[in-house]
Amino acid sequence: MSELTTMALVAIVPIAIGAAFAALAMRQISVSAIDGMTRQPEIAPQLFTAMLIGMALIEALCIYTLVVTLVLAGKI
Amino acid sequence: MEGSAAEAAVEAIDFSRLIIIVNAGIVSTALMAAGLALRRGSLTEGVPDGRQNFGEFVLDFFVGKAREMSHGHDRAKVVGIVAPLLATFFLFIFISNLFMVLPLPKLNRPPTAHFSVTLALGIASVLATIGLGMVFQGVKGGLKHLVWPNPLEFIAKITDVFSLALRLFGNIGGEYMTLVLVTGVVALGIPLIMHVLGFIPAFVQALVFTLLTASFTASALHKEEKKEKKKRTRRRGLRRSKELAPEASVATAEGGS
Repeated sequence: MSELTTMALVAIVPIAIGAAFAALAMRQISVSAIDGMTRQPEIAPQLFTAMLIGMALIEALCIYTLVVTLVLAGKI
Repeated sequence: MEGSAAEAAVEAIDFSRLIIIVNAGIVSTALMAAGLALRRGSLTEGVPDGRQNFGEFVLDFFVGKAREMSHGHDRAKVVGIVAPLLATFFLFIFISNLFMVLPLPKLNRPPTAHFSVTLALGIASVLATIGLGMVFQGVKGGLKHLVWPNPLEFIAKITDVFSLALRLFGNIGGEYMTLVLVTGVVALGIPLIMHVLGFIPAFVQALVFTLLTASFTASALHKEEKKEKKKRTRRRGLRRSKELAPEASVATAEGGS
């Protein structure tokens, strides 16, 4: 297996999958938060805080993929 | 060729420890100096000047966060301990992240782009959470939170350390790495856009770290709701009526029970 193929298998494909699903989940969060904010602008600050926390929790999963990818990419 | 790009990317964040120590030291010294400068002189007399306005503007958010989690505890004590903790985390991380946009060699390496710094911050945050639980609920109550609703709760604490540390490291380190790679390809113009966009993750990640620390602390301070629900509402009513009319409160409490 060539170096490029190995690189793609262990690094590029995993981070692409991880980022894609994290993006889908984040879309859901931001859509719901903006829905809530337009319905009730008075609770927008609390919603924004909750949105940030939720996004951070999802983003962490994507970051785990990035870290594993970096570790593996450094070993090739 | 492909391997060299990956190596450059990994090397971009794998820089010398000395630079990290110096940069983190600069941030800490600057923060302490700013704190001392803000404290000088009497701040409670007369019309507040610009210094006091600035300090209150910065601290207001954290005081509000600490006040939210002080149900059933001494509010002044909670605010006095938790608000400075959150403010320290936020200011240290935010100013560290901003090192990314400095146009100076060696100094433009954010300390938070190194895993050892973020791991230290994560450990400090989780230990502070456990310690605050012990301070406000007693040693037994604080330790009970590690095993109570779920016997594996202490594993969650260990994962919290890594999730806090990896999130900060991944975001800031990734941003810095992208910056280095883009500057290596096009040195003119494009890095400026990246620098400006770098402000957003710098602020958001500092805020996220602080908010997560706040929510962990809130869950550590949270009191058990066994049969206390009635009692607490009565006590809260008592406190409110005490604030309104000190003499009337005793009569209301006795009448209520």
